[in-house]
Amino acid sequence: MIKAIIDNLKGLYSLLVGLSITGRFFVSPQKTTHYPRQVDDPECLKSYRGPLELVPADDTGQSKCISCQMCVRACPGHCLTVTKGDKGKAPKVYLYDFTLCCLCAACVESCPTGAIRFSHKVYLVAPSREALHLDLLADLLARAPNPPQPKAEAEAEGEGNQVLAAPVTGEAPA
Amino acid sequence: MELTIANFVQIVIACLLIIALMVGNAVIMVYIERKAAGFIQRRPGPYEVGPRGTIQAICDSMKLLGKQLFIPGNVDWLLYFLAPVMAFLPVLLLFLPIPFGKYLVALKVDDGILLILAFAGLGVISNILAGWASNNKYGLLGAARAVAQSVAYEIPMIMALLAVVFMAGSLNLSEIVERQGTWPWQWNIVFQPLACFIYFVSLVGETNRAPFDLPEAESELTAGFHTEYSGMGFALFFLSEYANMLLVSFVCATFFLGGYKGPILDGFWWTFIKAYAVMCLIVWLRWTFPRVRFDQLLNINWKWLLPLSILNLWVTAIVLKFIE
Repeated sequence: MIKAIIDNLKGLYSLLVGLSITGRFFVSPQKTTHYPRQVDDPECLKSYRGPLELVPADDTGQSKCISCQMCVRACPGHCLTVTKGDKGKAPKVYLYDFTLCCLCAACVESCPTGAIRFSHKVYLVAPSREALHLDLLADLLARAPNPPQPKAEAEAEGEGNQVLAAPVTGEAPA
Repeated sequence: MELTIANFVQIVIACLLIIALMVGNAVIMVYIERKAAGFIQRRPGPYEVGPRGTIQAICDSMKLLGKQLFIPGNVDWLLYFLAPVMAFLPVLLLFLPIPFGKYLVALKVDDGILLILAFAGLGVISNILAGWASNNKYGLLGAARAVAQSVAYEIPMIMALLAVVFMAGSLNLSEIVERQGTWPWQWNIVFQPLACFIYFVSLVGETNRAPFDLPEAESELTAGFHTEYSGMGFALFFLSEYANMLLVSFVCATFFLGGYKGPILDGFWWTFIKAYAVMCLIVWLRWTFPRVRFDQLLNINWKWLLPLSILNLWVTAIVLKFIE
């Protein structure tokens, strides 16, 4: 009986503690980013998994893809379509259906040349499903329209899964 | 009080003003509540519609007005439409005896608190009707919970108010305010702290507010008794919920916080300031505490509030007898 009363008084005190916590939160600054007027710090997006993008080769600026179809086989959602080009190993078609992608990184990890990575397009929107059927080769071309010059400071990227951790070379998310 | 034309006109004007107060209160409280919820969770709350989201609540009510009144199959449609109206109309009556200011009383009756307590019970009947008529298991469960909860919490509430009535020797709300002084240490909260606490807990239970919002517990019963209501049916329930909150806050201000009396200058503004302070406290509670389980809810009432309120009443009676 007395124990019950003491327990309940302690419970009442804990209610006051709870009120003080929410009261402190009430007056502390907010964490929200008001999106159209403010955007997040790009530093925060380094680990963000946006839609896939092709990694340009350091010397040519072309895709590193060798059309080996490893990514196509690894993809659980069948969202990749890669067709080998007529000459060499470079792909002719690299289609990516973002509506089917579950961002699992199986393709990124399976790629032997590190040719694909996640972009940081956190603000990507589309008016229709079809607009999310992305052509990654066109995307790569659009990102590097100038004839590429060799970058001295860029390190050669060996393993595919290191690409995720590698810093984005000098380009802001669109 | 005889019914003269002047009295009748006074009551009609008062009713119109009270409806305006209820609607305005709902709009303001929705905004305050959503803002408070946001700030407590460190987000801005409504922000985009109007300057700092101020007209968000008005836009929402416009949306509710424009919505279709959806009637589910096999409802008892008379009761289904009667329930929201029944939830709304008694609240109108309940505001009549509240002394907002010294002369700002719609209906000067000698037993105002009796009127309020008697008709406050009608609110739960509308909840039962809504839950029963909408032919929905969640609705029915919510209604059953509403009954158990309201029946339970009305008793300590009345006991707590009765202690103050003992002290004032009157059921007249204006009289009770007159017995209290201007300064906070002359208010009934100082003389009856336990009664005030019991009343406050009971009013949260009585108005179905979190942490005692079992009848509409959205995570277990979707929306409880008003699950099937859309459009204006839902809006009327919503309106009456906020109006009930305002009413119990006014009663709290009148009984325990000195009503229209306050430092510097007495007047209706003190009633409103105090009532809205109580409202803000209720909102703060809602966003702080998780919902109690149903057995906990009834345990709090039957094992703690009721014995404590009886004890409080008893002690009050004895002390008053000795003072005489």
